[in-house]
Amino acid sequence: MYDNVIDRSKDITILELLDRVLNKGVILTGDIVISVADVDLVYLGVKLMLSSVETMEQLKAGKGIAEK
Amino acid sequence: MEKLIYSLVSVKNNREALNALLAEMKGISGGDLFVVATDEVAAVVSDIERSGFATDRSMAIEYAGLIEIMSQQFTLLPVRFGSVMESSDKILKMLERNYHDIQQNLQKVDNKCEFGLKILCDPEGIMADLKGKTEAMINTNVTPSAESKNSVYREWVNKKLHEHRLEEMMITFVDSVIAALSVSLVRLNAIHKFKKLVTAATIIDAVFLLDKEKKEILIQSVEEIEKQFPGLNFILTGPWPPYNFVEIVLK
Repeated sequence: MYDNVIDRSKDITILELLDRVLNKGVILTGDIVISVADVDLVYLGVKLMLSSVETMEQLKAGKGIAEK
Repeated sequence: MEKLIYSLVSVKNNREALNALLAEMKGISGGDLFVVATDEVAAVVSDIERSGFATDRSMAIEYAGLIEIMSQQFTLLPVRFGSVMESSDKILKMLERNYHDIQQNLQKVDNKCEFGLKILCDPEGIMADLKGKTEAMINTNVTPSAESKNSVYREWVNKKLHEHRLEEMMITFVDSVIAALSVSLVRLNAIHKFKKLVTAATIIDAVFLLDKEKKEILIQSVEEIEKQFPGLNFILTGPWPPYNFVEIVLK
């Protein structure tokens, strides 16, 4: 399904995907129900994951510089 | 039964092709996908029972995957996960009410795809480097007067001056990375959005919208620019449906 997705880390791709699908795109308002149960919880998970991925990438980057 | 909306699709002369694609797919919770359409715009939806509809992360990923498949064949506007309307009739009326805005957005993203670029740094390393430069700069620029030489006030001023210089140099550095990227983006005629200094580590968070056939050139360009900044970590993802370039709130 995600064959054409270019990524350096599957985790980061999933994170980017969740950020888009939960936080971007067309917004419906008015008499429309715009959210369903537990979406906030899913998003909270994304925010937490963002911190950990960033830390992971920092460590990787630091290692990369040291090896050069 | 309520309808979960996945995307708004441009269907000029290809509504049958969209129906054929949807017939091969299943929506969230195994529901059939179908279209509610008016003229050249169709909403892709599936039936859901909201009362028993429990969402989780895997469901959001599945939802995004369905939009991804549709976007490979059709120009579309992705709809935020969890958007539900009460009936097909209400969706039809919503499409009619917002038809002009939807068409404008569809034209903007026609045959285009989105890429995301996060640029990360080692905050301690880069700050140490910049700190050395600011100290050198301040020492050459500031001549202390005799009476303030060792005062608390002077220490405070110096500290603030250091912080200010550091911040200025960081912004200048980030701008130099953006300038390097912008040269390529102009060449590709790409629309872009940059966020600077999102966190201490994420110095740039950018999204680009460009013609689908130019994606390989973008990837090569980013790889070349990354080589110019060996201390930074570039994370390029895509191609995505145009989530970040949809500017529409439907009523």
